[in-house]
Amino acid sequence: MQKTRREILLFMGGGAAGAMLTPAPWRLITDTAIWSENWPGIPRPAAGEVSERYTNCALCPAGCAVRARLVNGQPVSLAGAAGHPWSRGAMCAFGLTAHHLPYHPDRLKVGSASEAETAAAVADAMARRGAGEKAAVLDLAPGRAASAVYRRAMAAVKDGVYLTPERPLGGARVDLSKARTVLSLGVPLFAGWGTPGNLYTARANFRLIQAEPYESATAALSDEWLAIKPGSEAILAAALAGKIPNTDAAVATGLAEQRIVDVGLSLRANGPSVVLAPENSPEVFELNRALGAFGKTLVADDSAEHGAPDGATLASVPDGSIRVLFLDESVPGAHIPWKAIERKLVPSNPLVVAFAWSREGYGRHAHFVLPAAVYPEMLTDIPSALDSPAPMFRLAAPLVAAPAGMIDPVAFVAKTAGIDPGNPLREKADAIQKAGRGSVFTPAGGKSTPVRSLKPDDFWKALNNGATWMGEPAAGTSFAKPASTLAAGDASDFRLAVAFTGAHFATLASPLMAKLYQDSDLRLAPDTVALHPDTARAAGLADAARGKLETAYGACAVGLVLDAAVPKGLLRVAPGPETLDICGANTRAKVAAL
Amino acid sequence: MKIPGSYLFLAGALAALGAGWVGFPHVIYKSRPQPVDFSHKTHADKAGLKCEDCHAFRDDGTFAGIPPLEKCAGCHASAMGSTAAEKNFIDRYVTPNREPAWADYARQPENVFFSHISHVKLGGLKCEECHGEMGASDTLRVYQEDRIGGYSRDIWGASPPRNMAGAAPGMKMDDCVDCHRRQGLSHSCLDCHK
Repeated sequence: MQKTRREILLFMGGGAAGAMLTPAPWRLITDTAIWSENWPGIPRPAAGEVSERYTNCALCPAGCAVRARLVNGQPVSLAGAAGHPWSRGAMCAFGLTAHHLPYHPDRLKVGSASEAETAAAVADAMARRGAGEKAAVLDLAPGRAASAVYRRAMAAVKDGVYLTPERPLGGARVDLSKARTVLSLGVPLFAGWGTPGNLYTARANFRLIQAEPYESATAALSDEWLAIKPGSEAILAAALAGKIPNTDAAVATGLAEQRIVDVGLSLRANGPSVVLAPENSPEVFELNRALGAFGKTLVADDSAEHGAPDGATLASVPDGSIRVLFLDESVPGAHIPWKAIERKLVPSNPLVVAFAWSREGYGRHAHFVLPAAVYPEMLTDIPSALDSPAPMFRLAAPLVAAPAGMIDPVAFVAKTAGIDPGNPLREKADAIQKAGRGSVFTPAGGKSTPVRSLKPDDFWKALNNGATWMGEPAAGTSFAKPASTLAAGDASDFRLAVAFTGAHFATLASPLMAKLYQDSDLRLAPDTVALHPDTARAAGLADAARGKLETAYGACAVGLVLDAAVPKGLLRVAPGPETLDICGANTRAKVAAL
Repeated sequence: MKIPGSYLFLAGALAALGAGWVGFPHVIYKSRPQPVDFSHKTHADKAGLKCEDCHAFRDDGTFAGIPPLEKCAGCHASAMGSTAAEKNFIDRYVTPNREPAWADYARQPENVFFSHISHVKLGGLKCEECHGEMGASDTLRVYQEDRIGGYSRDIWGASPPRNMAGAAPGMKMDDCVDCHRRQGLSHSCLDCHK
C-alpha cells in the first residue's frame, strides 16, 4: 500500500501530539539536565559515615579556623569553627569552597619533566653559573616553617639569595581593636584584607574612611567614602601628614580642600588612628608616624615566632643576575608580575623551576614545573595574620590525600642545596612549646590552654587537629621607613591607574564559585578590563570589544567592558593569567587598539 | 483504499501513547534485584522491630541510613528461622563478612542537604510520609535505575504523569517544596542546597 507524503506527515503529527501526552519527552528533559552528574571525572563522594575534622585555611595569612564535614572521609563542606577566639567562626567565600580546589580543571598533576630530570637540569645550571650569577628562591608566602628552610638552603649555596615580596606597611601588624579611626587608601578591607571574623568584630569600634576612586564593597560599607582621583592616594597621605599644601592636594585628588582638612582633624581628634595602604609608601609611613600609630595601632613584627624575617626584595637584586630561580607557589601568596621577575634572570639560558598546583600560575613561564599538593591536601603552617598583633602558629592539616607524584618543594630545594631540611614544622612547634608563652585554642573542645601545660607531643597533636597557638602581642618599636615607591613605568605615558577587581588569587578559586560569579555577572571574566566610556573613547576604543593593555612590564590582549560607574582615568582589571603577568600593586597602564 | 487523515493522525497519536507509556519505561530503566530478599513485614511483625531500631540515628544526630552488615549480624550470626532467604543471607554475606550492595530507593543528589533528625524529631514526620509503606512490605521491589539520570524510579512517586508507576510518595525537589509550602515552612534554595 503506497503512502503519500501527506499521510506520513499526518501519522507523524499524530505521533508527536501523542508523545506530548506521555511522560517520555518531559522525563528526557529532566534526565538530560542531570546527565552531567554522571559524566566521567565528576568527583563522587561515596555515601558513608559523616564525620567532622578541624583544620585551618591556608588560602591567605588570615588562616581562619575550619570545621570540615566529611562523608566517608571525603570533605563535602567547609565552615568556620564557631567559638574560635581569632577567626570567630567566620570565613570568606574562597575559604568556604576551598575543598573544590583539588578538582580544579587547571589542576597540575603531572610535571613538565620528572623530578630526577629536573634535578639533573638544576645541578647542571648551578654548575654553569658564572661569576656573580645567583641562585634564588622566591618565597611568595614568607613566614612559614618552610621559609626558614629556604633561607638556610640559599645561605648554603654560593651566591644564593632568598627573596620575599615586599610586605605592606613594612611588615608591621595592625591592631584594629585599638583603632578608633581607620583611613584606608584603597585597601580592600572587606574584600580579602585581614581576617574576616576579627575585622567584623573590631568594625563596631572604629570609624572607617575609605579613600578610593570607585565605590568598591569596602567603600560602600565605610562610614565615609572619599572618591579621589585614580592614583592620588599618596598625595592625599602626604597632605594629611602636612608634607604638601592642601590646596595642591585638592587639585590632585579632586577633593575639596575643606574635606581634606576635616579628614585630618578627624584622624587626630578621634584617635588612636591608623592609615592603611596596599603597599609600602613613605607618605603613609610619615602620616602614621604623625598620628602616633606606631606602637599603638601598628605593632612591629620583630617576634621570632612570627617566622623568618623578610628576605631580600626582588628590587634589590640586579637585573639579569639570577641564573637559577625556584618559585614556590604551592601556597597562595603575594603576587609579583612575571615580567618583573623575568628581568632579573640572566639573558641567556636561565633556569626557572616552579612548584605549582595549577597550570595557570608562574609555571606557564618556567622551564620546569613540578606538581605540588594544594590546600586542603598539604600539611603546611600559615604565617601570622596581617591584623594580628600577636604571633600565631596554625597548621593546615590535610583533609584529603594528595594525588600520587606530588613534589615537596622544601625537600627539593634542600636537596639541591645539600642541606637536611629536617622536619621544620615539628621543630617550630617544639620551639614554641619550649618557650612556653601564649595559649592554644582547640576547636574540637572549644577551650584555650596555656601552651606550657602541654607536652610537646600533645601540642603537636593538637596542632594537627586544627588548634591555633597565639603568642603574646609583639612589643617591637622598630619601624623602617620604606624607600620611595614609584609607580611602575613612566607616568607620562601610562596615565591610567589599575585597580584589580578582587584578590589576585581569585582566578584559582573554586571553579564552581568562579563560574557562578561570572554567570551571574558578579565578577568580570579573567583578563577583562572595565573602563569608563569616555576613557575608551579617548583611546579610540569606543566600540571595541577587545583591546591591548600596556604597562611598563609589557602588554597583553584583554576584553573590554564599558562601565560608566568606573571613574575616568581608572582601569578595573580582572585578574587573569595575562593581566597578572604585567600588573602589580601601584601599576599604571594605558589601553590601545589591538 | 484511502484512509481518512484523521484516522492516520489518531493512529500516530495512539502509537506514540503506547510507546511512551508502555515501551518507554522499559527502555529508560534498567533493573536489578536487591541482593537479599528482605522482608520488612517479618521483622516488624515477628521480631517487633520499629523502623528506628535498624535505621537509627547516631549519637551526633546524623542518620545511619541502611544498616551495615554488622547490625544485621547482631541477630543473624546464625539462622533464626528456616527460610531460604535467611540462609542465603547468612551464607553469602554474614559468614564471609561481606556487605550487601543494597540499592537505595531514596538516593538524593550530593548537592542536597537533608536532615532526617530534624524532619522526624522536630517536624514529627512519620517514615511512611516519604517512604510509603516500605516498612510493611514483604519483599523488596526490583530496583529500577534511570539509565540517564542514575536515580531510582521510586523518587518520582506514584503520580502517573510523572512516573507511570510507583509505590511511594515522590522525593523530587518539587515534593519537598510542596510539603514545606503546605506546612508554611521556609523553602528557599539554601535551605537544602547549602
